[in-house]
Amino acid sequence: MILLLIAVFTAISGRPVNGLLLAAVAVCLAWDNARTRRRSVLTAAQPPARLVAARRPRPLAVAAVAAAGLGFAAVVGSFARYSWPATVSVIGLAAVVVAIGWRGPPRSRRDPGELRRRGTSLWAGLLVAAGLWELSALILQPGLDTTSSAHPTISALTDPLLTSHGGRSVVLAVWVAAGWFLVRR
Amino acid sequence: MNSHDITVFGYLVFLLAGVVLELLARWTRLRIPSLEAALARAMRTRTGRVGVLVAWAWLGLHFFAR
Repeated sequence: MILLLIAVFTAISGRPVNGLLLAAVAVCLAWDNARTRRRSVLTAAQPPARLVAARRPRPLAVAAVAAAGLGFAAVVGSFARYSWPATVSVIGLAAVVVAIGWRGPPRSRRDPGELRRRGTSLWAGLLVAAGLWELSALILQPGLDTTSSAHPTISALTDPLLTSHGGRSVVLAVWVAAGWFLVRR
Repeated sequence: MNSHDITVFGYLVFLLAGVVLELLARWTRLRIPSLEAALARAMRTRTGRVGVLVAWAWLGLHFFAR
């Protein structure tokens, strides 16, 4: 439901392709959840737990993925923001990473176990507070598409960095690295 | 200090708070999970896993895709 709301707001704020993609993921996720729930009711069993022992990745594979990620950042960073080549490249990589993540962790990982609720709520609180701060800046802008110097959003603050090829490539490299980190969790 | 400075200062405070939380998690005995552990916990279910990955994907789309 949250994902669908984000999809709607993304679409009406002038990003129909992004909105469609998010809506597609939301629908697939809802369908998959319903199917899993129905199956677990029928079999009266929980889905099998996966992977608890940690295993180190092979250095050669890590080097190959790092080189591919840097190559992606260098090439896609040369495209103008919001151009079709940049859009297709970023959506393509995002779709591949989400599809890989959908299947579960690609390698064995350490089970974090139960975490302390108070400690975890600190992270959640920080995330929500930062989101509300960004939202207040967005609302105080003259319009959704019009940035304000008095109340800059993070997007507005990063605009100067993303005007150059080098800046875009650095940000893309960080984004790709974050995706690689997350998909291996 | 004008409203621009206050807004930017707010972002910096949140960034600093995140760094402090991570340092407390890794270097002290306080029962605070590291960001990695919190993410790993959130990603134990398929919904959580896909949700976190879509949040990551959204960032890329927001900054680069039309």
